Amino acid sequence: MGEHGNSAYMDPSKRAYRTADVDVSTLKRAKDDNVQLRLDGVDHTARPTWKLRETVEFYRDVLGLPLVHTISARGWGAPGHPDFLHFFFDAGKGATIAFFYYLGTDRPERYMPEDHHFYAANHTAWGVESPEELVRWKETLEARGLNVSPYTRHEILESIYFRDPNGYPLEITLRLRDLHRLDAKDAEMTLDAAMQLEDERRGQPERLKDIDTVWRRKGKLVSEFVEG
Amino acid sequence: MVTLYVLDVPEFMPIVECARARGGCEIKKFAQGYYRIQAPSEIVLNRKDMKMKPAVWYGLFTGGLIGEIKDWGRDEVRVVGTNKPL
Repeated sequence: MGEHGNSAYMDPSKRAYRTADVDVSTLKRAKDDNVQLRLDGVDHTARPTWKLRETVEFYRDVLGLPLVHTISARGWGAPGHPDFLHFFFDAGKGATIAFFYYLGTDRPERYMPEDHHFYAANHTAWGVESPEELVRWKETLEARGLNVSPYTRHEILESIYFRDPNGYPLEITLRLRDLHRLDAKDAEMTLDAAMQLEDERRGQPERLKDIDTVWRRKGKLVSEFVEG
Repeated sequence: MVTLYVLDVPEFMPIVECARARGGCEIKKFAQGYYRIQAPSEIVLNRKDMKMKPAVWYGLFTGGLIGEIKDWGRDEVRVVGTNKPL
């Protein structure tokens, strides 16, 4: 039950921030109230774990990320919430990676790791400062016995990938160059192209399934942008 | 006519350099930060000529393509003009 009592958590209106669908079409835009909200980087990301010792030993002892904070608490709030540990490892520049360990629970089937791009899309990517540091991560982790991917050079990132003992995908990445206004304009036109095409297909049986179609619309948008 | 637009950033510059080296196309740079590569019938690009990593190769035409991909492989691509809607 806990300090917040049961009633607040049973009242749907007070749980709306967790349960209600977000209908973007009804939300006011930042440009309308002229308030520019600001963030100061990542504080933490958090995931559940059902492997307490392996997770602590992996992040603290193998990766060498300092354990900097642990919350240990009775389950509170929602009914049936188990007692838990919530612990944080330092990932540099004030960012941490955090885990919840729910005492006495088993990992549900739907939280099992999968070898699938949908699953791997949800991942943590940490930055390093230099090419030498990226190499040091790869060679050191391999020497410590971990399976690490080959280097993958994307457009602005060069990355290596590996998994933690929970199956969560991790990435170490080097930013290859700074981003400029041009990159932002290009990003906007690529997504505008895709959103326009999806809007045009709304309610029709044929979905947007290939990137070539997006590239053609992008060609049109860029043509209008540069040639008027 | 087939047209490519290429964002003027280091990772895509090999496209412009490769097209220039192969010839048979017209290349124009726009102040807004794009190159336009145009050819009457086709443009062929080779991944190894461009020393391009696969992760960039598979996004080769992200700058925009007024044309159609005819032959797409791991190492070579041929694009031609199109009647498909833009």
